[in-house]
Formats: sequence, C-alpha cells, structure tokens
Amino acid sequence: MAASLYSIVNLSHVYRNQPVLKIDRLEIPPGAIVGVIGPNGSGKSTFLKLTGFVEKPSGGEIRYKGKAALPFAPEVRHRVTLMPQEPFLMKRTVMNNVAYGLKIRKDLNDVQLRVHTALSWVGLDPKDFAKRPSFALSGGEAQRVALAARLILRPEVLLLDEPTASIDALSAQLIKDATLKARSEWGTTLIIASHDWQWLYGVCDRVVHLIRGRLMGSGRENIVFGPWARGADGIWSKTLSDGQRVLVQEPPEPHSAAVIDQALITSAEHPTEGGRDRVRLTGLITRLALEKASGEIVGSVLVGNLPFTASLTENEVHTKGLYPGRQVHLFYDMNSVRWF
Amino acid sequence: MDFLVQGFLTAIELLMSGDAETFSAVYATLAVSAYSLAATLVIGLPLGFCLGYFDFRIKKQVRVVVDTMLSLPTVFIGLLVYAFFTNRGPLGEWGLLFTLPGIAVGLTILALPIVIALSATAVESMDRQLRVALMSLGANRRQIFLSTLWEARLSILAATLTAYGRVMTEVGIAMMVGGNIKWQTRTITTAIALETNKGEFAMGIALGLVLLLIAFGVNASVSTLRKRY
Repeated sequence: MAASLYSIVNLSHVYRNQPVLKIDRLEIPPGAIVGVIGPNGSGKSTFLKLTGFVEKPSGGEIRYKGKAALPFAPEVRHRVTLMPQEPFLMKRTVMNNVAYGLKIRKDLNDVQLRVHTALSWVGLDPKDFAKRPSFALSGGEAQRVALAARLILRPEVLLLDEPTASIDALSAQLIKDATLKARSEWGTTLIIASHDWQWLYGVCDRVVHLIRGRLMGSGRENIVFGPWARGADGIWSKTLSDGQRVLVQEPPEPHSAAVIDQALITSAEHPTEGGRDRVRLTGLITRLALEKASGEIVGSVLVGNLPFTASLTENEVHTKGLYPGRQVHLFYDMNSVRWF
Repeated sequence: MDFLVQGFLTAIELLMSGDAETFSAVYATLAVSAYSLAATLVIGLPLGFCLGYFDFRIKKQVRVVVDTMLSLPTVFIGLLVYAFFTNRGPLGEWGLLFTLPGIAVGLTILALPIVIALSATAVESMDRQLRVALMSLGANRRQIFLSTLWEARLSILAATLTAYGRVMTEVGIAMMVGGNIKWQTRTITTAIALETNKGEFAMGIALGLVLLLIAFGVNASVSTLRKRY
C-alpha cells in the first residue's frame, strides 16, 4: 500500500470556544479522490481549510508526506490548493487572476499560453475572457476562472469546497470534467466536499461522512436529528412531515442524533414482514447512483421530508423495479440504531 | 448681486494675468497640502492597514480613539502646534512657527486620523475570503499584505482624496501656525478670510474659484487613474 499523502491524527478545531471538528485518525493516499459529505454546518469547510493549510488547527496534527505541516510551510504552500465555496476573484482581469499564482512563484515562462490553456480546460474561450475584468463574469464563469487559477499551478492536491453549488448545469459539468482531468493527467489528489453525492459516489475512491465535526464512516449512514419525544405508547420517536414516525430506543438525550447504518429497501407491492423491533417507513425513491469503489448502487428514498440512503444490488433494482419515482418500504432495526 | 458677478470677472482677470500675489497663495496652498499629504500617507497607510487587518486585544479602543480624532477642531490643533513651535515651546528651537513646514505639521495631524480610519475601514470591509484565496494560491505573508493593499486601492484612493480635500481647504491651522504672512505663509484659504474681512469680496471669490479649479484638477486626474486601473 502506498504511503499516505495525508495522515491526520487527533485533529481538532474550535471557533469561538465551540468545537467544530474532531477527527481521531484519517489517512489519504496520494492520487485518491476523496468525497466529503454532510449537512450544512457539519465541518466540511473547516476540514478543507485545515487540510488545505489555510487555517491552523486548534489541536492535533496534519502530516503531509510524513511531515507535520502548518499554513505557510514551504512543503505545502506551493503544492496544495483550495478552491473555496465562494469563488473570490481579485479586482483584476481574468488573465491576471489566473496568472496570480504563477507570478508569486516567479514562474513567468509562457504565462499567457498557460493561462489560455487553463481557461480552455474549464471551457472558457481565452480570446473572449482573458481581458475581461472579474466583475464582468457570471457566477458560473467566476467559479471556472477560480478553478483555472488553481489548475494552472498543477497542484499535488486540489481541495474543492462545494464546487458546483449554485452554478448553472454547464459550468458544473465543466468543473467536474476539469478536476477529473487534473487527476488523470497529473495524478492530482482530489478532496471534494459537495452535496452532489451522486457525483461523489460516481467518481470518488472513498466518501467520508462528516456530522457535527466528526467522521461517521462511508456516507451511507442515515442521520436523523432530534428532538425525540416519547409517545403515548411509550416508544421514543420523531414524527416526520407526513406523519410517519421514526421509532428508536430511548435516546441518551432528546436532541441526540440517531445513526441508522443499514436500511433495507423493498417495493411497496412486495413488502417484507416487519418484526417486533423492525421499523417500516414508506417513501419515494428519488435517486439511484452507482458507487465507483464498490460497484454497488446507492438509492435515496425520501420519507416525509427526510432523505434516507441504502445500498442495493443491480439484481434488486431490476427484479423489484426499484426505480426513481417508485413508492417503496424502508426497513431498519430499532436495536441497531446508534447515537451521536 | 453685483459684487458676485464682479468677483467672477476679477477671478478670471487674476488668473489670466498671472497675478503674483494670487499665485503666491496658490503655491503656498499646494506646498503645504503636498507636504502634509505625503507625510500622512507614509505614516497613516501602514497604521490604517494594521488597524483594519490585524486583530489585537485593544483594537476596539484604538478604533474609538482614531474615530474621535476625526472630530478634532482645527483651531485646537493650531493651538497645540503653536504651543509646541513657539519660542517658549518644547520644539521652539526648530524654528517652524510661521513657516510652510510648520503649517504642514498641523495639517498632517488633521489628516492622519482620516487616512487611518478610512483605510482601516477599507481593509476591514474587504472580503474575508481574500486571505483564504491568496493563501490557497500559495502567497506568503508579504504577498498577502501587498495584494490586500492593491485590492483596497480604490477605497484607499478615496481616503487620500478625502484627506487632501480636508487639508487644502483648512483655514484655522494655516492662520494660527502660519500667521498669514503675505508672500510667505498666506494660503488661498487664509487669503480669502483676509480679503472678506477687508470687504474685498471679488478677490475672495477669485481665490475661491482657484481652490475649486485645483480640486477639480486633482479629482479629474484621480478619476482617470481609476478608469485605467
């Protein structure tokens, strides 16, 4: 097995006395594509800022190629680059924005040609865009220019924070293509935080799930946040928008988050019998995605207003007709629910 | 109304004929405002940047002091500078009282809080993402400082213009520290005050027009620069 590019040990970060990230251990091999998923405020951006070395962690250590590294350290400053969620462009032309990284490295050979190549990678015509001021760009174009400014540096690691959020579909596709091209041409390690889990499952070697600043496994866990209430029947539950109840054993605290690792999907026409502790929910399949690493299909089922995910085999999808739009039953074991 | 019309006509005549007394006042005004602005920018810009960029324990208190200094009465500054530069004052031996550099010192004290406060606000209001973006592109601390300054250039230019307008039109300090000495320390504003006291409105209006022309010239040049960069 290749030596780790990143070795993260006991990493913690605090904002205004509030802990926002705590990762005991994480290894990322060189050339990997790692997806980070999680709800808003789960610590994804903080994780990327720390691993992008633009912020110093409150505690713990991030080792890069075996050496502990901090912001401005020479061994990471010119090798690791982060594209933040908001594509901040300087008040300069597109050419000067994209060339900025080269200029501060005093790498001034063929700057114009390299800027043009980088712009072409992200689908922007250099003749049309190079001389434009940054304020004359749409959101999607600005995001693509920001990516070009990083691709021109041929980074060893490219971290992307919600690169396709709130931009048009064409820009999103071009950004996805350009980042994957960087990986295939230069072996760039990609760490991507995104809500587009279909894309992440499709391209990532590994997807990690961040919840409240902690790693929660592969991202296929279902997280149900409190508050939990004890019903008249004495069973603890959370009532969803359509009136269905997510039943659980007594939580440690009413606001604890429940983690349902394994959920089973079956078609509504062929329901599986539920046991005493087996909970059945009814929902609609909204999406299916093929997970690159395992070859499994990941299905998303919307129950009330809560999305659940579950693994499926190709055979199950075909024989049970589990396609998007179908009403299905979702089963889980109350006793297997973990608390967070 | 006749004296206003007469004032405009006299102004044109004074400027066209190259009246020596008028141009002496113009020179004195340009000299003291240039000296004081240069000193203000050299001292004030780094201080304003640091105040806006860095977080430190007594930042809020420093900010309150700087903001309070914005309201310093010019006569009070004139009095203080006079007290320091008079023969009996601690800096009396420097011989700066009733000289153009002496006026420039007073005007620098007047303009410093303006440049510090406005450039601090300009840097503070820069997008917090700028630092992250620059760091992620590989910039070191010095490059971040220079790039941030460049990004705030338009706001800093506005601060500079505001300070320039303040020092060029100031009268209290110039009168007290300069003494309004003809051919020596008489600036446009002190000359206007004198001519008005003498009932020479036409001359006062003429000098006022010259002041406006200078202000227009400076602003037009800056506007051209803004378009280019």
